[in-house]
Amino acid sequence: MSESLMAAAGEPNPLVPHTVEIVLGAVVFLLLVAAIAKFVVPRFEKAYAERTAAIEGGIAEAEQAQTEAKAALEQYTAQLADARHEAAAIREEAKEQGAQIIAEMRAQAQAEADRITSSAHAQIEAERAQVVAQLKSEVGALATELAGRIVGESLADDDRQKRTVARFIDELEGSAN
Amino acid sequence: MTIATVISAASGGEGFAPPGPADFHLPPLFGEVTKPMLLVVLAAVLVFAFTYLAARPAAVVPGRLQFAGEYVYGFVRNGIARESIGSEHFMKFVPYLFALFLFVAVNNYFGLVPFIQYPPMSHFGFPLGLALLTWILYIGVGIGKHGFLGYLKHITIPSGVKGPVLAIIIPLEFLSNILVRPATLSLRLFANMFAGHLLLMLFAFGGEYLLFESTSLINGIAGVLSFVMFGAVTVLELLIMFLQAYVFTLLTATYLGESLADEH
Amino acid sequence: MEGSLNMLGYGLATIGPAVAVGLIFAAYINGVARQPEAQSRLQPIAILGFALAEALAIIGIALAFVI
Repeated sequence: MSESLMAAAGEPNPLVPHTVEIVLGAVVFLLLVAAIAKFVVPRFEKAYAERTAAIEGGIAEAEQAQTEAKAALEQYTAQLADARHEAAAIREEAKEQGAQIIAEMRAQAQAEADRITSSAHAQIEAERAQVVAQLKSEVGALATELAGRIVGESLADDDRQKRTVARFIDELEGSAN
Repeated sequence: MTIATVISAASGGEGFAPPGPADFHLPPLFGEVTKPMLLVVLAAVLVFAFTYLAARPAAVVPGRLQFAGEYVYGFVRNGIARESIGSEHFMKFVPYLFALFLFVAVNNYFGLVPFIQYPPMSHFGFPLGLALLTWILYIGVGIGKHGFLGYLKHITIPSGVKGPVLAIIIPLEFLSNILVRPATLSLRLFANMFAGHLLLMLFAFGGEYLLFESTSLINGIAGVLSFVMFGAVTVLELLIMFLQAYVFTLLTATYLGESLADEH
Repeated sequence: MEGSLNMLGYGLATIGPAVAVGLIFAAYINGVARQPEAQSRLQPIAILGFALAEALAIIGIALAFVI
């Protein structure tokens, strides 16, 4: 070994390290490690962590949005069903109301018709009664005059006359019955 | 050396000096400062600048630079640290491993960057310094976890080994875990960078010599071939430089993981 | 002829680790081909084995320069 080291005097042996180089290399590298540990690695880790959080957060957000959308859909469906119910109820009511109105109208018309009919009846009755009364008096007068003429007897006495006529008509009515 | 000898023989032995270890010793630029020292500092500055700029936005949606930084960071964090150390303790060592990977890789790639073209890791001191740090770290972590004697037992006696075999196993395991590990860790990186750079220099200088110092046609063809080989070796070096940074970091993480393991 | 006998010896010494590295990666490729999902588990083991086998070649180069 000493021979080769002597030979190395002529041609430097590459395996003999320089102390300066060992120390310099180690110190420079340690400085680099310190700088990287302080400035670089935490940032990379932060970016990693943030990215992971962002991805997980995104997933959670999407899930939340989905549940929200589902809830909204259910709400709309419920509202729609409500509206349908309401519309049906309104329609039903309207139908009922219409029927009622028709019935009312019909009843009113019936009542009117009845009233008109009854008043017509009454009028007819009244007219008939009047005619009957008039006829009665006229027939009486005619008959007395006729009887007076036939009998020749003066029947000036009114009271007697009236009584006789009434008796006569009563008899007439009784025979008619 | 044999290729160099062939080249020097082919060129008629006119004194082509093949590149050797001497070419790695550059004269100091000023004072005691040499080129590899400057490059090591430059690499640290570059690594820090890149990672700082990439990490600074810390945005949820990364930009292009941040994406690149996160890609490398995720590779070291998940691919190396978590796989080798386990998901329980690995976060403590991520800064060390991340810095180690980028620092070694950038230093290696200095060997191919035009006008720099010098891998500082081909000076044995630098990889040795890094390996010593790793050595101190994993032994320290092991002693912190198991206690001094517990750690000695942890590394020298594999579980399930009993009887006289231990007489062989204990020294072997001690040698392999305590002495050979830092040596191979540093030597592997050094030797790969050294040999790779030597190869590149050989093809570049040899090709230049054959093309321009010689008039013979055959030598000209050999020179062109030499440059083609230079390109091929450059591509190979691109792979090796990455691989060495990866292996250095992975082995560091593996050693750390072993120190933290409950069973051997 | 230039160069030292050490380097020749080193060249011979690399044959063993070279074969070892080849075997390790052959086994790794086999494993991944049979079970692609095991790649992430096999890769560190393969690299570790490669590093251990390569350690021999590295000890070789150290000795080649030192002795």
